[in-house]
Amino acid sequence: MHINYWQEIRNNSLGRIGMIILVLVAGTALLAPVLAPDDPFTQTPDSLESPSAQHPLGTNDVGQDILSRLLYGARTSLATALVVAILATMLSLAAGASAGLIGGLYEKMMMRLVDAFLVIPPMLVVIIAAAYIQPGMIHLVLLLSLLGWPAGARIIRAQTLALKEKLHVRASRTFGAGPLYILKRHIIPDLGPVLTANLIRGARRAVFMEAGLSFLGITDPMTVSWGKMLYHALKYVYLDVWQWWLLPVGIALSLTVMSFTLIGYSLEEAMDPRLRREKHA
Amino acid sequence: MDRRLFLKKGKFMFLMLLFLATMGAAGLITTGCGEKQAGVSKKPADTINGKPGIIPVYTIADPSGDWGYPSPYTHYRRGPGYIRMSLIFDTLVWKDEKGLIPGLAAKWGYNPEENSYTFELNKNVKWHDGQKFSAKDIAFTFTYIKEHPYDLVDCSRVSGVEVIDDYRVKIYLKEKYAPFLNNIAGALPILPEHIWKAVANPQEFTGPEAVVGTGPYRLLDYSREHGTYLYEANREYYLGQPRVLKLRFVKIGNEMSPAALERGEVNFAQIPPEMNDRLSGELEVIKTRYDWVLKLMFNHRKEPLSTKEIRHALALAIDREGLVNNAKRGYALAGSPGLLSPDSRWYNQGVEKYSCNPEKAAELLTAQGYRLENGYYTKNGQELALEMLITPEFEREGQFIRQQLEKTGIRVNLKSLESKTLDALVSDWKFDLALSGNGSIGGDAEILNKIVLGQTFISARYDANKELTGLLGKQLTVLDPGEREVIVRRIQELLAGELPFLPLYYPDWYYAHDGKVKFYNTPNGISYGIPLLLNKAAFIM
Repeated sequence: MHINYWQEIRNNSLGRIGMIILVLVAGTALLAPVLAPDDPFTQTPDSLESPSAQHPLGTNDVGQDILSRLLYGARTSLATALVVAILATMLSLAAGASAGLIGGLYEKMMMRLVDAFLVIPPMLVVIIAAAYIQPGMIHLVLLLSLLGWPAGARIIRAQTLALKEKLHVRASRTFGAGPLYILKRHIIPDLGPVLTANLIRGARRAVFMEAGLSFLGITDPMTVSWGKMLYHALKYVYLDVWQWWLLPVGIALSLTVMSFTLIGYSLEEAMDPRLRREKHA
Repeated sequence: MDRRLFLKKGKFMFLMLLFLATMGAAGLITTGCGEKQAGVSKKPADTINGKPGIIPVYTIADPSGDWGYPSPYTHYRRGPGYIRMSLIFDTLVWKDEKGLIPGLAAKWGYNPEENSYTFELNKNVKWHDGQKFSAKDIAFTFTYIKEHPYDLVDCSRVSGVEVIDDYRVKIYLKEKYAPFLNNIAGALPILPEHIWKAVANPQEFTGPEAVVGTGPYRLLDYSREHGTYLYEANREYYLGQPRVLKLRFVKIGNEMSPAALERGEVNFAQIPPEMNDRLSGELEVIKTRYDWVLKLMFNHRKEPLSTKEIRHALALAIDREGLVNNAKRGYALAGSPGLLSPDSRWYNQGVEKYSCNPEKAAELLTAQGYRLENGYYTKNGQELALEMLITPEFEREGQFIRQQLEKTGIRVNLKSLESKTLDALVSDWKFDLALSGNGSIGGDAEILNKIVLGQTFISARYDANKELTGLLGKQLTVLDPGEREVIVRRIQELLAGELPFLPLYYPDWYYAHDGKVKFYNTPNGISYGIPLLLNKAAFIM
């Protein structure tokens, strides 16, 4: 299953759209300091102003420029998504592949641990944890990664079990290859599609969870985040400000999550052997 | 087009449509709320059913909804919970817009020689179940409250109750207690002896019998899940028939209440301050007296805030006017370091103000041995860094204060916590700075004792100043209002000097209603000092 991801995404219209949106969001995130008309933190007395040349999306309740906060918010969302996706996938790989390869009691214990983790609603754990530790960005990312690996680990284990019995893996074992060598040379490369799917899924979840937790107000009060913007904007829905405060954030968040979903879709089509067969038939 | 391509296109179109539909729906919902719609008539109901002033149904919006079962031991221990209970249960005396008025007692008087109060009771009072009310019920209630304390009314100063005859009762006090009429006689709900004598565990007593009182309303329905209450008028009420026949409380958020009012779905609601101008033309808008205060709590049991001068420096570094203009957009009044607001009759405007003065703050810090290094004050190589606990609700305030303190050279680490966690940490002294609020500052000056000496998380628990502690104890026993006022003023001065906490601001609260019932601000607050407008006396003809 060696796939050229780039080619797959490019050939798929959904994937293309998803990629374009993601690149746009990532671009604004990277260029936020250049694009933003104002410092997103400075509080000014000009609160709840309508859009103007100086503030294209108006100002919020404490006089901060909404557009600047929207742009900086993209940084928080994407940075969380990226780090959580990578960390969670690495954990999934370590747990799933080792369980699949080693087997025996270790596998049983690992899988029960996964089951135990799966039944805990991650949002709840984060809320409780946030009550006791300083809920800064690093802690949040670590927590989300620690809670996001079990589902992936299960899929990876299943895939590893299947791969383990493949002829070329057996052959290399016959030639005396150890488990680490097999893992590095055969299993991980063949797990590629599953890992990619995991990464995308993890990223999407992280964007959502970060926004959700900020919305609940339990993340670091000094970070600029979309969830936090929604939280503050919702207090003023009785005024006209929702049009340039609530709506842009909602659209930005929906677009980002949608871009991940679309990319995931296109890759799913590429990786599902049945869909592929149909395609190349 | 082969099937696969069609499916793919279909999926894409579906996703797009779903996205557009969601956005459209969100837009519609929000526009719908902003639009004004023709609703129920808002004219005062003067001649409904041929009777002047009768209002068949009156609906009150509340953002929280549930305030507990409206019986004395089961309602939530906050003002709105008490209000819901007070519609059913009466007290000896009550207050209207001018001051004390008769409740269960028609007349009352103080007997200085024996430090007691005599009450002459109304004779035509009946419990909701038809039984006759008498002085024995009063005596029973005071005995019952000793065994099963009722948190909102402290009866520990009452030494005994003497029943003179069926309609006369004398209440003896252990020591002189100035706020007696306001905080006990005007706040303690009187219970029917024939029902409560059999109740051993009042916190779990929630049947229909638990809401048998003598008040102007009977409870018809209560739903904890929906946060609704429905009351029916007690037409035989001894002080006059209630004008509103059915009183409803429904759960509606403050953001949605202006639209509900405009549509005529509710008659009374709290509104966001920005809506005052927009609504005041068509509805009556009342601003309540300042009764609630947001405080910056200092941990005065831990270095460096155990030093008074450091607390002063912090107060000088924070621009409270700026905080009001920025975080509250001007809809609040900057706090007075003596705790009480200018709306209180005990207010002392001469206390130290700590108007924003970063230079003076810097002087104070330097005098304490701090030196400015890399923009932050340090002492013995240690930076002056403080952790400030906030709840999400006060994030804006927290950010503003942090900005101000950092500008002065004090490092502040903001930590946003859920409110119960914050209260617990403050209670255990595990904090440096914390934002915490409390109400009832518009009531009797006894609130100073609760906030300074009390042992709860809203209190400073501060007894380091002997004069302050002494005067707090004394003010309760001075019956002469003039003399007591002098003491309370001095207390505020001392409090501002010690500064165990810094009152930041008193927020503006606006209520709008359709004018069918005339509401007012009750002096010293409803009952023991609740700063709300829903005084049951306003409903009586």
